Amino acid sequence: MIKLENVTYTYSEGGPFEMTAVDNVNLTINKDELVGLIGHTGSGKSTLIQMMNGLIKPTSGRVFVDGKELHNKKTKMSDIRFKVGLVMQYPEYQLFEETVYKDIAFGPANMDLPDFEIKRRVEFACDAVGLKRELLEKSPFDLSGGQKRRATIAGVIAMQPEVLILDEPTAGLDPSGRDEILYRIRDMHRRAGMAVVLVSHSMEDIANMADRIVVMNKGKVALDGKPAEIFGRREELESFGLSVPQVTSITHKLREKGYELPKGIHTVSEAVYEIMKLKKGAGDNV
Amino acid sequence: MFKDITLGQFFPGDSFVHRLDPRTKICLSLIFIVLVFLANSILGFALLGGFILLVAIITKIPLKFMIRGLKTIMFFIVLTAFFNLFLSTGTVIWQWRFLKITDRGLELALTMIARLVLLIFGTSILTLTTSPIALTDGIEALLRPFKKIKLPVHELAMMMTIALRFIPTLIDETDKIIKAQTARGTDFESGNLIRRAKALIPILIPLFISSFRRADDLALAMECRCYNGGENRTRMKVLEMKAIDFVGWGVTLALGVIVIILNYVRI
Repeated sequence: MIKLENVTYTYSEGGPFEMTAVDNVNLTINKDELVGLIGHTGSGKSTLIQMMNGLIKPTSGRVFVDGKELHNKKTKMSDIRFKVGLVMQYPEYQLFEETVYKDIAFGPANMDLPDFEIKRRVEFACDAVGLKRELLEKSPFDLSGGQKRRATIAGVIAMQPEVLILDEPTAGLDPSGRDEILYRIRDMHRRAGMAVVLVSHSMEDIANMADRIVVMNKGKVALDGKPAEIFGRREELESFGLSVPQVTSITHKLREKGYELPKGIHTVSEAVYEIMKLKKGAGDNV
Repeated sequence: MFKDITLGQFFPGDSFVHRLDPRTKICLSLIFIVLVFLANSILGFALLGGFILLVAIITKIPLKFMIRGLKTIMFFIVLTAFFNLFLSTGTVIWQWRFLKITDRGLELALTMIARLVLLIFGTSILTLTTSPIALTDGIEALLRPFKKIKLPVHELAMMMTIALRFIPTLIDETDKIIKAQTARGTDFESGNLIRRAKALIPILIPLFISSFRRADDLALAMECRCYNGGENRTRMKVLEMKAIDFVGWGVTLALGVIVIILNYVRI
């Protein structure tokens, strides 16, 4: 779906403040995947995802979406933007319309869709993020913080992109709002088959959501694999300034005490299952 | 895409000119501008040109930065020279059909070019060697006497400082908003004028809203730290006239005297 080939991005190239944010990255995002992208602050995550929909042009290397090369004269960039939906960090500032409905409809309207289709998509997006429909006629500036966040995410989902990229969609939200938004994104991913790239600082969120994890360190892809595999490499993650989910560190400590739990347990339910299995196997002596 | 714009053209350094008190620099620049308009002898202009070149060399700022300032008003300079050259009265020295150049026209055109170039050079050196903050500090100090006639000098200076402070922030913000709206399919590049103007609305509205919010937040933060205007306020950086400032004054005033004398000496 999205393919990055030897992609490098350098800020203010040749100037005194030259900085390579993304360094020779090769990465493919497949259809139907939910990819978690993690990395320490300044590891190049945000720069990387902005290249996935052509917002910034790589200094060198090539980007393909659906087999079409970006920044090529033959490729219409607006088509790419509709295929790869990007929700930026703290996206509330993008709200501008008189009503929430019009704001969510802004993307689909740019696609020159008929009105009934726009309406269908706005309602679909609204349900997908759990925004109450009666809010649609309100001004977006009267919404609460969590509702604003949902409205902005809905504005991108309404374009029904084939890949949805979210840059820390839950930053600054309260825990219940965070869990609900993530739950709904995963739900939509499963039902609508939208590929999702989720950038997050929260290992818990990533562990609960992702089918595949990509770890960035200093502009390079350091690790790429299944969550169990990635979280099994605790020392490496820590050397990148990252951590593992709490449940992983607990099971790791249990392993150190001699309990034979598998490496890389990353969800609570998994941990419960493994511990119960161990308990049964040991004949209730544990 | 907006990151490359340099605003306020301050070029950090530690030269003699950089170290001058901002008040001195502002005053000397003003004196220089007055001299540029007072001078009317070739020697006078040569002297002013030599002086400004010397100052430019002392600053150690690459000359191309100063010439950049000239580029922006090149059109204006050419236009003024053109009108002066062809539309003045006097003894005709060259003629081609309806175009004619007179001795007076030539003289006026050259003086005009010299004045404009010197003017730009002089002011460029001021803004290149003085940080915007030092500049507003200097302006505040120089305008202080106007407090007597109820001019809110401190408030004006504070407004300037805040405006300067927020320019980079707003550029970042604009960049972010443009990206977010581009990601939602706004097309800024194609379509007729009305379509393009309409494409700006999704940028301008969020920009205005965030500016107002920032202004509110800043006002609150300032009040929380008991800011209530310039009354009895002390400064972290107290402006002080030092020996080098007197050297600067001395050299410039001497230059002024010579330029004025040269006006009356006919060679």
